[in-house]
Amino acid sequence: MIPTKWNNPPVNNRNLAAERHESLSRRGFFRGMGACIALPALESMYPSIALAAKATKIAPTRMAFLYVPNGTIPGAWWPTGDAGTNFELSPTLAPLAKVRNQVQIISGLADDSAEAGPDGAGDHARAGGTFLTGVRVKKTAGSDIHAGISIDQVVANQIGHLTRFSSLELTCDAVRKAGDCDSGYACAYVYNLAWRSAMQPLSPEHNPRFVFERLFGVGAPAERVANLKRRQQEQHSILDYVMQDAHKLDASLDGRDRQKLDQYLTSVREIEQRIENSERLVVKNPSVDAPAGVPASYQEHIALMFDMLLLAFQTDSTRVATLLIAREGSNRSFDEIGIAEGHHNLTHHQNKPEMMEKVRQIDHWYVQRLAAFLEKMEATKEFDGQSLLHHSMILYGSGNADGNHHTHSNLPVVVAGSGGGKLKTGRYVKAESTPITNFYLTMADAMGAQGIEKHGDSTGRFA
Amino acid sequence: MWSMKPILGAGIVVFLTGAVALSASSANHTESAAAVTENSAVAVYKKAINPILEDHCYECHGDGYNKGKVAFDELESNAEILDKDLWLRVLVNTRAGLMPAEQKPRLSAADQQKLERWIKSDVFHLDPRNPDPGRVTVRRLNRVEYRNTVRDLLGVDFNSEVEFPPDDTGFGFDNIGDALSISPMLVEKYVAAATVIVGEAVPTVDRKVVEQEVPADAFATADGEKQSWRVRFPYNTSKSVAAAVKTPGAGTYKVTLALDVRGDFVFVPDRGRLVFKIDGKEVLNKEFAYFYEKSFTFESDHKWSAADHSLSLEFTSLDDGKAGSGEKAKGPKSSRLTINSLTIEGPLEQDKWIKPANYDRFFPRTIPAGRAERLAYARELLGAFASKAYRRPLGADKSDDTADRLARLAEDTYRQKGKTFEQGVAQAMAAVLASPHFLFRLEQPAPHALEAHSAPVDEYSLASRLSYFLWSTMPDDELLALAARGELRANLSAQVQRMLGDERAKSLSQNFTGQWLEARDLEGISSNAREILIRDAGEEENLRLLRQAFRAQDESTAKKLAAHIDSVVPAKISLDGDMRKAMREETELYFRHIVKEDRPVTELIDSNYAFLNEALAKHYGIPGVTGDDLRLVTLPPGSPRGGVLTQGSSLVVTSNPDRTSPVKRGLFVLANFLGTPPPPPPANVPALEASEIAHEGHEPTLRESLTKHRENPACSSCHNRMDPIGLAFENFNALGMWRDTERKQNILAPGQLITGEKFGSVSELKKILATAHREDFYRTLSTKLLTYATGRGPEYYDVETIDQIVNRLDQNDGRFSAMLMGVIESAPFQKMRTQATVTAAN
Repeated sequence: MIPTKWNNPPVNNRNLAAERHESLSRRGFFRGMGACIALPALESMYPSIALAAKATKIAPTRMAFLYVPNGTIPGAWWPTGDAGTNFELSPTLAPLAKVRNQVQIISGLADDSAEAGPDGAGDHARAGGTFLTGVRVKKTAGSDIHAGISIDQVVANQIGHLTRFSSLELTCDAVRKAGDCDSGYACAYVYNLAWRSAMQPLSPEHNPRFVFERLFGVGAPAERVANLKRRQQEQHSILDYVMQDAHKLDASLDGRDRQKLDQYLTSVREIEQRIENSERLVVKNPSVDAPAGVPASYQEHIALMFDMLLLAFQTDSTRVATLLIAREGSNRSFDEIGIAEGHHNLTHHQNKPEMMEKVRQIDHWYVQRLAAFLEKMEATKEFDGQSLLHHSMILYGSGNADGNHHTHSNLPVVVAGSGGGKLKTGRYVKAESTPITNFYLTMADAMGAQGIEKHGDSTGRFA
Repeated sequence: MWSMKPILGAGIVVFLTGAVALSASSANHTESAAAVTENSAVAVYKKAINPILEDHCYECHGDGYNKGKVAFDELESNAEILDKDLWLRVLVNTRAGLMPAEQKPRLSAADQQKLERWIKSDVFHLDPRNPDPGRVTVRRLNRVEYRNTVRDLLGVDFNSEVEFPPDDTGFGFDNIGDALSISPMLVEKYVAAATVIVGEAVPTVDRKVVEQEVPADAFATADGEKQSWRVRFPYNTSKSVAAAVKTPGAGTYKVTLALDVRGDFVFVPDRGRLVFKIDGKEVLNKEFAYFYEKSFTFESDHKWSAADHSLSLEFTSLDDGKAGSGEKAKGPKSSRLTINSLTIEGPLEQDKWIKPANYDRFFPRTIPAGRAERLAYARELLGAFASKAYRRPLGADKSDDTADRLARLAEDTYRQKGKTFEQGVAQAMAAVLASPHFLFRLEQPAPHALEAHSAPVDEYSLASRLSYFLWSTMPDDELLALAARGELRANLSAQVQRMLGDERAKSLSQNFTGQWLEARDLEGISSNAREILIRDAGEEENLRLLRQAFRAQDESTAKKLAAHIDSVVPAKISLDGDMRKAMREETELYFRHIVKEDRPVTELIDSNYAFLNEALAKHYGIPGVTGDDLRLVTLPPGSPRGGVLTQGSSLVVTSNPDRTSPVKRGLFVLANFLGTPPPPPPANVPALEASEIAHEGHEPTLRESLTKHRENPACSSCHNRMDPIGLAFENFNALGMWRDTERKQNILAPGQLITGEKFGSVSELKKILATAHREDFYRTLSTKLLTYATGRGPEYYDVETIDQIVNRLDQNDGRFSAMLMGVIESAPFQKMRTQATVTAAN
């Protein structure tokens, strides 16, 4: 049993105006929510598809990528002591003490595609756009966005059919900046971690309520599954109809118009697929209320998104997820811990101690959020007696290493969970400079993906 | 050779670069024609252009120098000499006066003209009489357009800003075809939204019970005090309210009272009793205590013969002041009971039911009985609806089976057990809203268009281009009727006039300024008023000491310091939601004024008026404005406020959370007003805070820090352009308020632009921008508006279109209408590339 608690979060100021006109679909629901609810015993939460796995007494492996922006203060990040199990957590990573044996800290991972090369300024946009794709993103303000497929989607393409959602894309960065995002790079690179293809970013969801309703349906706990079923039935004929429309149109279009239509077509197909799978993949409905909306506090928002991620994994709704905790280059101030300056401004500290200390506090604050999530994951037991964390691989990191210098080697990365025993944990690994994509291949292997020889700039498996 | 689009085949290059080659049929022929064109362009370069460059440019870009990696004497091949990217930069930089650089002799007007003419004709191959309209990728409705379109199509306000993820942007705008992508989640949301919207708009039965909600303001106390929005009963106050209602008359009625209890937890909860009476008879008498956000619903049935009834709600506070007075006295007494709704349904007898609201709008005739007739009726309704939703008529020929397929979809639904005809039609309408024909703006060329490589868009496409540009929504009946008659083009300017006068034209102000001036960012931007004011007052050290004293629990020192800070830092100033909204609306109203009154666009930079309400005027230090409504205010003489640059919105979005950023402000003006943004900073550039070394014994001002920063030659070439502009705005703090000092030092506003003009104050700078740099501003604003209007980024071939708009502005005293009609009548807005070209360009 794990308690999942969300205290009826007040609505975020930024969306106040918007949320005040409560949207139609939800009018009347979600009044009087909140309080502290415990999830039902985990075993009953398993969809039937997992029964096969259950027969072999091994729970499935999950994988998530969590992104934090602007790098970290390296000196405060890296553990002291030798590589191996005998290391001391650094001040920044100290909050991980309770899950120390479930994490590994890896140095030496690099994202070379984010280096300036011929493209000049724009290290933040590149760091964001390359993090999971491993390819040099095209420098464009918007006419020809081009990155590459991200590793989560590579894996989702192979194992996505085993769960109701092939992948889940989440963000805690709800508000978009107008204008340019970074030195002539389109904003798509910094707001989207997951890319279905080089030209199709997968926009993440920022509202925890919508994440919940998408996973489990709308309404009171007892009605949810029925509501979801009814909605799917209603949608069936609509999807059939628009599919025909799209096919006809597709034939008459060219070039980029056709690419847009194809994105639409494949999206419709995926929804249809999910409906077709709904007999096979049963919704496991957690008997908790949906969250009310986007909380006013950033800390609450992150905590709720982590809860949603945990629920999605726990109910085996998906096995692949990405969470953009904040966009690369974020200049958010941290009034929560008395820091009025913008995060990005601070990271260009030029070794001024007060500024470095503030960045370290921000780094530490983010790791605290991570630690709370990992502890919950560890406390959640699977039917085989192991923890949900044990069966997961949670990669937390940034595409910038030292925000002060915009370096992209020796990235700050923590990997939690052993992917069901396939990765070693409780250790500090000092690797030679290695593309981070090599590590992704190792993770993909652990997920059971087959035949992936290369991803982005990878040069082999992470040893 | 067309370096921006490397995939081009040889034949196509010619096709796009020289109209001469258009008639050529064989690839060989076109190749040789291309070579001829190239050779003659290069010959002109060598003979007429290079000598100008030798005189004015070689000092930095020749004879062994290659500043900015440009050396004109090292261009060798035809491709290098005719590189479009290079010459576009030359054009922009020479026109803006950035090149030749400071203190070097300028090009004579004749030479400048010669250079421009060569670039436009021989490098870009622009034909002023027949400009290339460019290519717009099919545009998906963004979430603003979606919301507005649904509102106009069905009368439903669907909050897409909450329901849909934000749209990706390109070139600073969220309506760029290439940047608007689609994901499975978004399509999922579209399908779900379609069902919800249609469910809200379209009645699914033909008769229903009359339902009336008694509004809060129907209730009043005995003293005649009207209740507003919701009737509320705080637990600590007794109150009674009454209302009179009228019903349709004799029959059975159901009355439903819905209420909830809210408040903070206290150990000994508050209590109260509510009595609800109808015509003096008690319907409910119940005691309420504290509940955590609990909702209640009470229903009662009534047989009434009369039409008029009286309702009363009587609340008695049971707060006797005795029970648990200790804890209770400490806790907040915030519990209250709120009446959410009071609904009267009836008469419930079926023969007294009425048609639902909206019924005739969607189902104008009686539903026929026969199966075939029903199907035909469904087909008729759905064909008309789809045509409106798709913003063009369905195809007349057999190949367009849209109406048939929709009717079949409706029938499949309404023939199911328990489903009504209306439900079937509604289901098909939902399919229309989820269709790519609705979600994308699909355009077509006009029939029988003559030109080979481009053609005017058909009038339906033009109607949509106009309405989404000016209104951010679908065309209205008048536009569609004109398009149907083929008379829209002929009545263009009258229609634009009409559209600008319409309420919907607010969308242009909101969405264009919201993005061009980044006013949309206001609501989300981090800003810490106290830190800003403390920094302005030079009290950072005392704040640090205060925090230290807090940590050390040194109460007396902390108190002293806090009192001192409070005495020098004004309290109660913050960028709260109302202030941010007022700032955003000020900018929108200001722009709307220029549009509606057809003012010169230079008033966007400099004027003697503003749009203010009391709070904003106070924030700006302008006396004599009272009330919450923003209205046109003539500024006092000498006020620095006129124009968008000194409005709160621009000043705040260009600031950091804790201080101003002269660099961001300078960049904002260069990029959005002068069209010459400096290149991005090199990697590893230090932040300004890094230059904060104590200056002559005090904490440095930003001007002092920037001076230090510019000592680095790697920084100076760009900062010499940005800093003087940004520093001119230093009299406005990061909250947009006027200040005379920063960190106890007087603020110095005077400066000099990189192009030489000197100014003594921000007002003088604005005058210079609006006069000496008027053309730069015209060009920049026209480019932004064209981008927003066409949904694609500017390309080299748009130079001619933009030049024509700038000329038009010049000839019309810079009136907004000259720019607007220039954009609307331009080739990119009026035309599209035809299929052959589209294929080639990809």
